[in-house]
Amino acid sequence: MIEFVVSHYNYWAYVGLMVIGFYAMMAKKNLIKKIIGMNIFQSAIILFYISTSVKRGGVTVPILEHAHGGHGAHHAVDIMQYANPLPHVLMLTAIVVMVATLGVAVAVCILIYKRYNTLEEDEIIMSIKRG
Amino acid sequence: MGAGLIYGTLDMPKWGDPHSPASTHVSPYYLHHGLEHTATPNVVTSVLADYRGYDTLGETTVIFTAGMACILLLRRGRSREEKRHD
Repeated sequence: MIEFVVSHYNYWAYVGLMVIGFYAMMAKKNLIKKIIGMNIFQSAIILFYISTSVKRGGVTVPILEHAHGGHGAHHAVDIMQYANPLPHVLMLTAIVVMVATLGVAVAVCILIYKRYNTLEEDEIIMSIKRG
Repeated sequence: MGAGLIYGTLDMPKWGDPHSPASTHVSPYYLHHGLEHTATPNVVTSVLADYRGYDTLGETTVIFTAGMACILLLRRGRSREEKRHD
């Protein structure tokens, strides 16, 4: 039981981050806080993927040693020595999408603030209804 | 929602398990053959720029689109404000 908790509590941390981000996205009225919640949500997913690439026991980043000097291709590669590279690659793509959505969302928020002089959702809806 | 996610983690492999499914099926291929296929010691780079080159090209399109959207939105706002001041 205790061994199970020790080997799985990292997943629960990501669940916690994800729920915090989801709560901020759904329940907060301020648009900037909603954006921050979205970022926390995405960060939780990225952390989860990166943690699947970890291997215990003397593992380094997936940059092959003895690669230079022309003889590199003949060295046998010990896959237990390097972390799994594929989650890193996928999360690089996800980070790019995260930055793109963040930029567009903040730009839209700037325009909303210029138009309504507030970022609170209920006040914006009130002033739309008032016309 | 959190309870459902935690229920899902009960079947996950242990943290740092070298024999987890994620690191036993596809990724050894890239670690073994990445160097001879692409002559790049950094496996992340060789997967990103060589095996998944078209995907990365599409990714730059995403950044470009986002940048253009930001520029257009912010410039439109500014020019309107200038007109209002004039």
